[in-house]
Amino acid sequence: MKTHLDMDKIAKGLGAERRGKISAKGGYFGALQLLADIEARLRVPAGGGRPTDPRWTERRLVPLAPETLDRLEQLTVGIREHGNVSLEPMQLAGLLLEKTTEQLSDEDAEKLVRPRPTGRR
Amino acid sequence: MKKKRTRAAAQAGGDLVGGRKRVLVVLFVPSLERDGTTSIDQERWIDSALELFGRVFGGATAYPKAKGIWRDDERGGSLVKDEPVVIHCYTTPDDIQDYSNLAELGGFCRKMGREANQGEVGLVVGDEYFAIRNFAGE
Repeated sequence: MKTHLDMDKIAKGLGAERRGKISAKGGYFGALQLLADIEARLRVPAGGGRPTDPRWTERRLVPLAPETLDRLEQLTVGIREHGNVSLEPMQLAGLLLEKTTEQLSDEDAEKLVRPRPTGRR
Repeated sequence: MKKKRTRAAAQAGGDLVGGRKRVLVVLFVPSLERDGTTSIDQERWIDSALELFGRVFGGATAYPKAKGIWRDDERGGSLVKDEPVVIHCYTTPDDIQDYSNLAELGGFCRKMGREANQGEVGLVVGDEYFAIRNFAGE
């Protein structure tokens, strides 16, 4: 039977941050498996590369249109095949966001959010 | 290191049969400070953790050392090699959601993080990983 726990209450009571689901099993092998699981989340990939940039400490939910996600997935497949790099679509999105933010002027940013003309008089 | 087990933990088997103690709490006790080279008094922290789990939650088991590694992103992503000890404790949903028990467990983790100079203290409750990084206060 699955036990329902109020994880937010536990985090608050501990003074801790919730860092995600984990498969925790009892016994010696469960302990070793769990340790390996935790470490796998923190390990630097053998291939290295920008997607795991240690400066990327912030996490936010970003709303996307399905077409945008499709395009990111297409681009990622191409990069994986040609660049021999292990990359996920949202890691690519992070890279694009960083690059665009660096290059975008204040004026360009304002144009992006300005309401578009409707064409009516 | 031989496996340590509190008397209360030995009795937990009976509780598990009855399905009462069904929440697994796991604490990782490191062997090194966050610089990756300075040893800590690991035995002291293992004994203190077992004493805490025994008193507050009714028992715990410390498993032999495992070899581990973690990435310290606040120090340029340098890798810290470690030989952590994993402590398992089975408890009840009521006990793990009790504020005074959580405060005691959180206080222990902060004390260990602060005095053993850690970047993070890791704790698993049920199927979720919790990280304690702010070690201010008991």
